[in-house]
Amino acid sequence: MAKKTYDLLFKLLLIGDSGVGKTCILFRFSDDAFTSTFISTIGIDFKIKTVELRGKKIKLQIWDTAGQERFHTITTSYYRGAMGIMLVYDITNEKSFENIVKWLRNIDEHANEDVEKMILGNKCDMTDKRVVNKERGEAIAREHGIRFMETSAKSNINIERAFCELAEAILDKTSGRESAENPERVIIDRRNNEKAPGYSKCCA
Amino acid sequence: MSMFKARVKEFEDVLAAPQDLIDLKQLRQLTFNGVPDVQSFRALSWKLLLGYLGPRRSSWASTLAQKRALYRQFIEELVLPPGHANKGAGDDVDSRGVGLQDHPLSEGPESAWNTFFNDNEFLLQIDKDVRRLCPDISFFQQPTDYPCDIVVHSKGEHGRRLHERVVPAVLSSANVERKGLGMTKINLITKRSVENYAAMEEGQEAHWEVVQRILFIYAKLNPGQGYVQGMNEIVGPIYYVMASDPDLSYRAHAEADCFFCFTALMGEIRDFFIKTLDDAEGGIKCMMARLSNMLKAKDIGIYEQLKSQELHPQYYSFRWLTLLLSQEFPLPDVLRIWDSVFSDEQRFDFLIRICCSMILIQREAILENDFASNVKLLQNYPPIDINVVITHAVTLA
Repeated sequence: MAKKTYDLLFKLLLIGDSGVGKTCILFRFSDDAFTSTFISTIGIDFKIKTVELRGKKIKLQIWDTAGQERFHTITTSYYRGAMGIMLVYDITNEKSFENIVKWLRNIDEHANEDVEKMILGNKCDMTDKRVVNKERGEAIAREHGIRFMETSAKSNINIERAFCELAEAILDKTSGRESAENPERVIIDRRNNEKAPGYSKCCA
Repeated sequence: MSMFKARVKEFEDVLAAPQDLIDLKQLRQLTFNGVPDVQSFRALSWKLLLGYLGPRRSSWASTLAQKRALYRQFIEELVLPPGHANKGAGDDVDSRGVGLQDHPLSEGPESAWNTFFNDNEFLLQIDKDVRRLCPDISFFQQPTDYPCDIVVHSKGEHGRRLHERVVPAVLSSANVERKGLGMTKINLITKRSVENYAAMEEGQEAHWEVVQRILFIYAKLNPGQGYVQGMNEIVGPIYYVMASDPDLSYRAHAEADCFFCFTALMGEIRDFFIKTLDDAEGGIKCMMARLSNMLKAKDIGIYEQLKSQELHPQYYSFRWLTLLLSQEFPLPDVLRIWDSVFSDEQRFDFLIRICCSMILIQREAILENDFASNVKLLQNYPPIDINVVITHAVTLA
């Protein structure tokens, strides 16, 4: 049987309107490549990538979902098990940005309460087609108290960083529960600790 | 080679025989074992098996003429922008009753222009998907030899090509520099996006544009269902078969014929695409359960392994079944699978058997693998001789 080659397993989910580039983001992260010729995702897809954070090997199990309404009954069943969710919109598509609110509502309905969230404004390389400026993305993220980043799967901007930051946020939570393994950190109050931002933001 | 010739002969005997009535039972038996890639055998067999053509050869000419004329009418009424010049009409009301009161800024519910703009919502989705159709072959990006004349000759009118409605026209921007003495230098910048499919010249259109029109018309005519992602993967192989028919008198009408074959097939599988029918008999969850039950009956070991790994059937079989396996194999293999699936009178029993065989064939790997490797295996099925899968499926009674 396969040996356990990692310390922690994190389950992540990518959601957002159809065509915003969820599959491309995942492909960039897992295979470090880009192609604009992806077929549309039907139902749900899956990738694995192992990263190292704070000396721990973390296996990321990432689920990529279909964006269209029809598939929601299939895809929302994955929300429950997810520890982190990436909400993706396309900076060249106004509608996909407006729908972020709808996706957030979906998370409230179907995901665990303490799931880590992050909003990604993808396709930020397409400056001449931009219709959603960065400030609007930042504003909605601030309003809901979640992280935000602009990304480009094509130009490889912020993709690795986004996944690592999300993983790190989850790690902060989990390591609160296993503090003995983490001697450098002094934990005074677990509840405060969960909200404390600003740990090193780099992926090993 | 002689075996191949014998098969061709069998098809000739069934399809091209002098008698009027085609023996559908015999045709089913033949197509079940795969249609040879010669003559119009596959295109014609599919038309018959999907019920687009009746078994009487003498009825074909009138059926085809009637359906193709009907499709032409759909294009005129549903695709062309409102108020397009109606042939020979001298009055100010065209075929859709677009009178002088209606105009592009009208928001009235009766306004044909209002509908026109509302359509663009689902058209945008179709547009994204048809551009992503079968990216591993170049066929869909090639120009068709039989473009739709009323669409490709725009006469300067914007929006006859459906994608023009949803992809904003490229506006050229210019840098204007003024230098002394009133000299003005204008640098015209036109950025061309490389990933956009090359626009065809006036009078030409690519196969994906034709597929886009078929899906658009289908969605317009079935408003309760509309367009659902994945329908592009169903129409794709049918269109490919019709549009590569060696008989040019058929190929010229690939669009209309494909539309009706697609509509007929959707009539049988449309429940897969409707969320509210997921739990109904004939809905996708019911199909997944049938596969799961068959797997359990055939090989409890694999069934238990997947179950203990919490590898739920919807991780893989949702897509397998909804798309009739069209995303799992290369196009020629998909055509071969569909030969058998279409000839199955108890549709979709055989499809489920093929799916079950796909799992059983990977038995050793599945029992050995962990969860992640198994999901990967089933979501990206390894290359295989498709006949091995089909032969295996035949043995599963």
